[in-house]
Amino acid sequence: MSEFALEVENLVKVYASRGKAPIRAVDGMSFRVPSGIIFGLLGPNGAGKSTLLRMLSTLTLPTEGTAKILGYDVVKKPIEVRKRISSVIQATAVELLLSVKDNLLTYARFQGLDKATAVRRADALIGEFQLGPEVDRKVQDLSGGFRRRVQVAKVFMVDTPVLFLDEFSTGMDPILKRQVMNLLRAEVEKGRTIILTTQVLSEAEELCDDILIINRGKQIARGDLNTLKLLSEGVYEITLAFDHLPDNIQAEIAALSPIRSAIEANAIDLALKIEESRVMEVVSALSRNRHVLRVEVRGASLEDIFVELTTREGRELK
Amino acid sequence: MSALSAVVYREMKIRATNLTFIFWDLFFPLLYMLVFGVGVNSALGAPTGIGNVGYNEFFLAGVLAMASFAIASNTSWSFFLDRDNGIFYEMLTYPMRRSEYLLGKVLFNVLIAVAQAALTLAVGRALLGIRLQWPKLPLLLAGMAIGTAGWFFFYAIFALRIRRNDIFNSITSVFYFAFMFASSMFYPLEPLPIWFRRAGLLNPITWEIDWLRYTSIGIGNFHSILLEGAAFLIFSLACFAFAVRCLKQQE
Repeated sequence: MSEFALEVENLVKVYASRGKAPIRAVDGMSFRVPSGIIFGLLGPNGAGKSTLLRMLSTLTLPTEGTAKILGYDVVKKPIEVRKRISSVIQATAVELLLSVKDNLLTYARFQGLDKATAVRRADALIGEFQLGPEVDRKVQDLSGGFRRRVQVAKVFMVDTPVLFLDEFSTGMDPILKRQVMNLLRAEVEKGRTIILTTQVLSEAEELCDDILIINRGKQIARGDLNTLKLLSEGVYEITLAFDHLPDNIQAEIAALSPIRSAIEANAIDLALKIEESRVMEVVSALSRNRHVLRVEVRGASLEDIFVELTTREGRELK
Repeated sequence: MSALSAVVYREMKIRATNLTFIFWDLFFPLLYMLVFGVGVNSALGAPTGIGNVGYNEFFLAGVLAMASFAIASNTSWSFFLDRDNGIFYEMLTYPMRRSEYLLGKVLFNVLIAVAQAALTLAVGRALLGIRLQWPKLPLLLAGMAIGTAGWFFFYAIFALRIRRNDIFNSITSVFYFAFMFASSMFYPLEPLPIWFRRAGLLNPITWEIDWLRYTSIGIGNFHSILLEGAAFLIFSLACFAFAVRCLKQQE
């Protein structure tokens, strides 16, 4: 068996439709992911994350290149690949006409789990995902959030070595999300490899051991959080809270050309790419002759890095 | 094999949530025969060109073929439901071949088709006095099974290639009209105008009906029935191969 959970070599996916220019959704990606980690695929909408996951999970055939899961080629050995993966696709995927429990048991049957194990695991997951009161209800009668719970719970029914999660936390409340994140971490400690896409960057920051940022079907940056922060050296987050919001503050913020900015109530939140020595200078300028209640200066978050790298790539392309 | 049984299990579970649907599946051909068949038999009598049998006997094969056609169309429509639920795409990542998915989906419905045929034959014999060719019963049930599967694969091609269920519904309505009425389902082909008869002879549902009629009440020429049976088998296999191809192209 390969030491890598995932090996991708010059992978390309082109969508061609009549009368329209072909779209290169994935454009020559190459990377490897070792087993037993949480690997994050980050990128803005349309970056190619879902297309990449669809190819890796044998849903879509690549146009060029190769991809292997634990040494098995997704095109040449799709069944071997499917035996080793579980997927939470982006859309809610549940059996609407079946009950919560039957959803879990039917999934287990597809994955070849024996009945006793399936029932035991289903009962445990129903508790962990707080599905107890709904267990015998048809999923079509549940809310979107509960449907998503059922969908995500299914992948914990089995022990497939590789897990694909496409925006897994969509529709989950913060408490459940926290529980699922803990479960994911526990699965990785057992040796599973998790490939996840997310737009919630704090989630990736907390969960991922290794991150690949992609945009327009291409790789932009790869590494753990610290490595990526180095790529984005000189990005600082500044938060200033005033007793009341100054009249001309928006113009002052715009003059600083921030990577991102937000104004909420009496506070401003900026991400700036500047030299370290200038940070206090900016804070002083924004505070001058104003009653400041709170000042915070932090290093770059994953969100800053993400915005900086994806917009930089956009600028370079132009 | 376990993948196939998992798909059958899933279909069975889904169908078991709606007992009215199962009841209708089982009794639909029987009720059709008892209402429509008896009505025509009483009002119009036996049509010409079918030998020494009444309309009830003649219509038996037609109603069984109609039932297999209806089950196939309903089963293929479930692709739309699965696609809307998102489960369709998730299922394509499960450890099974595309062919197993298709075969599993139809297998449970083949069992329903065989059960409804057995029920229709038994009640037809008991209530309407239809004289059946009991030794040919296994061939009749095999015809029902292959008929249901063949029509399901045929419909699956359209259900997998068409994304909008309103378009699919329009197409199935046209199919219902064309396949059922340009065939030997309701009337024999012999007295019909030549163009109509030719269309009927080229219609795969005629091949299925003629097989079912021969194996149920013994009407027909053995050699031409054998030829029609072989043609329907080829039609079913070709539809299966094409449907698997369509399933592999789902993105």
